[in-house]
Amino acid sequence: MINTTSSSNSMMSSSVTSTNGAQSPGLKTYFKTPEGRYKLQYEKTYPAGLLHFAHGKTVTQVTLAHLKDKPTQTAQPSSSSLGVSSGVRSAAARLLGGGNGSRALGFVGGNGGSKSVSGTNRVGSLGASSSNGLLGNSNFDGKGTYLIFNAGDVILISDLNSQDKDPIKSIHFSNSNPACHAFDPDAKDGHDLLIGLNSGDVYSVSLRQQLQDVGKKLVGAQHYNKDGCVNNSRCTGIAWVPNGDGAFVVAHADGNLYIYEKSKDGSADPSFPVIKDQTQFSVAHARYSKNPVARWHICQGSINTIAFSTDGAYIATVGRDGYLRVFNYNNEQLVCGGKGYYGALLCCAWSMDGKYILTGGEDDLVQVWSMEDRKVVAWGEGHNSWVSGVAFDSYWSAPTSDGTGESIVYRFGSVGQDTQLLLWDLEADEIVVPMRRPPGGSPTFSTASQSSHWDSTCPVGTLQPAPSMRDVPKLSPVVIHRVHTEPLSGLNFTQESVLTVSREGHIKIWIRPGSAESQSSNSGSLLSTSLKEKPLFPGKAGSTGYKQMT
Amino acid sequence: MGAAGSKLEKALGDQFPEGERYFGFENFGNTCYCNSVLQALYFCVPFREQLIEYYSNNKNLADAEESLLTCLADLFMQISSQKKKTGVISPKRFVQRLKKQNEIFRSYMHQDAHEFLNYLLNELVDILEKESHAAKSDPETSSPSGKIANGPKSAHANGAQKEPLDTWVHKNFQGILTNETRCLRCEIVTARDETFLDLSLDIEQNSSITSCLKNFSATETLNAEDKFFCDKCCSLQEAQKRMKIKRPPHILVIHLKRFKYIEQLSRHKKLSYRVVFPLELKLNNTVEDADAEYSLFAVVVHVGSGPNHGHYVSLVKSHNHWLFFDDENMEMIDESAVQTFFGSAQEFSSNTDHGYILFYERLAAGRTS
Repeated sequence: MINTTSSSNSMMSSSVTSTNGAQSPGLKTYFKTPEGRYKLQYEKTYPAGLLHFAHGKTVTQVTLAHLKDKPTQTAQPSSSSLGVSSGVRSAAARLLGGGNGSRALGFVGGNGGSKSVSGTNRVGSLGASSSNGLLGNSNFDGKGTYLIFNAGDVILISDLNSQDKDPIKSIHFSNSNPACHAFDPDAKDGHDLLIGLNSGDVYSVSLRQQLQDVGKKLVGAQHYNKDGCVNNSRCTGIAWVPNGDGAFVVAHADGNLYIYEKSKDGSADPSFPVIKDQTQFSVAHARYSKNPVARWHICQGSINTIAFSTDGAYIATVGRDGYLRVFNYNNEQLVCGGKGYYGALLCCAWSMDGKYILTGGEDDLVQVWSMEDRKVVAWGEGHNSWVSGVAFDSYWSAPTSDGTGESIVYRFGSVGQDTQLLLWDLEADEIVVPMRRPPGGSPTFSTASQSSHWDSTCPVGTLQPAPSMRDVPKLSPVVIHRVHTEPLSGLNFTQESVLTVSREGHIKIWIRPGSAESQSSNSGSLLSTSLKEKPLFPGKAGSTGYKQMT
Repeated sequence: MGAAGSKLEKALGDQFPEGERYFGFENFGNTCYCNSVLQALYFCVPFREQLIEYYSNNKNLADAEESLLTCLADLFMQISSQKKKTGVISPKRFVQRLKKQNEIFRSYMHQDAHEFLNYLLNELVDILEKESHAAKSDPETSSPSGKIANGPKSAHANGAQKEPLDTWVHKNFQGILTNETRCLRCEIVTARDETFLDLSLDIEQNSSITSCLKNFSATETLNAEDKFFCDKCCSLQEAQKRMKIKRPPHILVIHLKRFKYIEQLSRHKKLSYRVVFPLELKLNNTVEDADAEYSLFAVVVHVGSGPNHGHYVSLVKSHNHWLFFDDENMEMIDESAVQTFFGSAQEFSSNTDHGYILFYERLAAGRTS
């Protein structure tokens, strides 16, 4: 018994040091924020030599996928008859799947889905699947959280809650490189995962089915835009329409966006009319009830990212022409939008309440767009290169206010090609007036100077020109942290952590300050001491901005 | 010969721009540094047009005495008046003239493209200034304007104050930097202006041109061994110094300092850093006139892992198409291919093609791309 404990401990420590050993000198395994330390919990990547060709030509994106318990036709009551609330059950799954017990058996698996390398693994994972599964010994029937990411010509799936660095599944695409993907946890008929390729091809599949299959090919896929017959330019973004009953949209590098409906015939109707004016927004509908059902021509040059508002009412696009555009999805109308400072916009993301949109791009700025004002309300300065990923932290709640404010504070993050993760705080009532001078304050900058552009209200359905540098209030980051040695391509917030991903497919999972406790049972000792660090800077979070040394 | 040209012609098809010519340059043994820069300059349309205009206005003069200016004008004329739309041309006369004139470029060794560009532009300026002075040699060129007298401004060796001449080369490439030094004792700011034809920027790994420009204009403290002599205090004082762009040029040439002298090795080393450059750029370090937008139209690329060998190629934007020139070869490339020349995010990468000199042209105000 003592032996097993010590051996499992030594395994732990060795795995921790190997995590640290993978670090380049100068990269820290934690970063401090006003609310405490974020610590590097896991890293995810893929074994060297997995990729065959064209590595580097694609940029890794990561999608988080929460698989729910497998719905079984008559099993609904029986699953509840197990009498476990979801919270308890998830804790149980964690313990059974990724807990110490299973590790002592000599394998790792967080969600009950262990690598299917040998028979013993399967036995070990029974614990997780039997807790909810009526289907006996097949794997991946339970709930779980997975990371889906692309690298080269491969789609990789990792178990978020396992400490295993390597993916549990890789799906090879012989014809073209996957470029983007999306997951819908509430998808009705099983097909919940979308994959868009460089060739323009699009697949919808069931994630669970992929996990259960032992092969290296996509299984049970519905194939759209086969061989690029409707559009052969690269897929740049793909998204399920929220509450869209199986509808999804695919953005392409030629400025077009297509709408598909899962229920409709897969065979394509490529007969969309020629686009007369490349610079103008236009919508064309398919003549027959075939996929894709509609084409939206958005802009000249590539669409780089698309994002739906949480309620699905709006879709935002950013692209090569530097414009953010916001459309009403249902009536197919442009609502508002505007140009960034300069260069292409690369990424965008909505706040949960739909009031703000973040964009990032080639001007090194993080831009905050207000849907109420229909204009840019702040520029975040702090990246030393292009901003490649932005996201609001919807799980974050402001440190309990000091009595002064009802003001809503948003926390958001950005990553860039400068290899850095930046965190920002935005106070909703603060951004009405410019509240921070740009670092190193230019003498010509005055808070009083507001041009006519700034005051004017922007009519619906029009695009704003690029604002002038002196007109836009500046934000400074709360945290600057260099997370990788290579350029980053995206970030994600989960309840427990922040995920960063590099262009080359290296993912790091940074656990939140408060989450250490719940995870400590899971991942060993080490993390248990650092709980509930007091915010380093009490008071208004917004005023603790990072001071740039210039 | 011409195979590359006909391929390009085919690729462009009926989109071949009216009146435009695409010609590769023959290589005479390590003259790629020259070829790559010449392509970039040829597709710097205002420069090309003014050079050709100059040539046609000074036909007699050109026949009289050969200079780098006449050789360049001759070469550009030769290209633009070709019957064929594409092909290969030999810049032989120009290269011979260059070698005759400057021994640095005489050897067959690998040369620095930026050094060449710098030499060429300064040489053109000198020739134009001399001509202009010769033309109006009788009326004395006195009365130095008071405005620009607050600094030594390319004062001539003989001490005579020469009115700075605004040649068409200046009009294209010249900008003014202002060097502000604030004495930390008396707080007085001394501003000294200097002109530039290109900006040489220090680079960092995984950064952007925007960030390099910011660093270029970052405030620097002069202290310890490096104090500033304040005229007011009449002594060495600590001071703060920063460089800003007072007048942004029409054509902004940015040179990335990829060849760095490493003292321990007592030789130059190539920095393969990934430095991203946007296709549109605004300057963040101007005194005023911010928000002026530039558009990238040419990139001179250094290929190779070291400073003393390698190859130069260029990317050029012409009539909204990007073209790749490699001596006599050329092909059309997608705009998105420009990003393959940013550099390597990690050392020891197999990618050795790195953007070295960037050419941006200022867009007319109010124009949105």
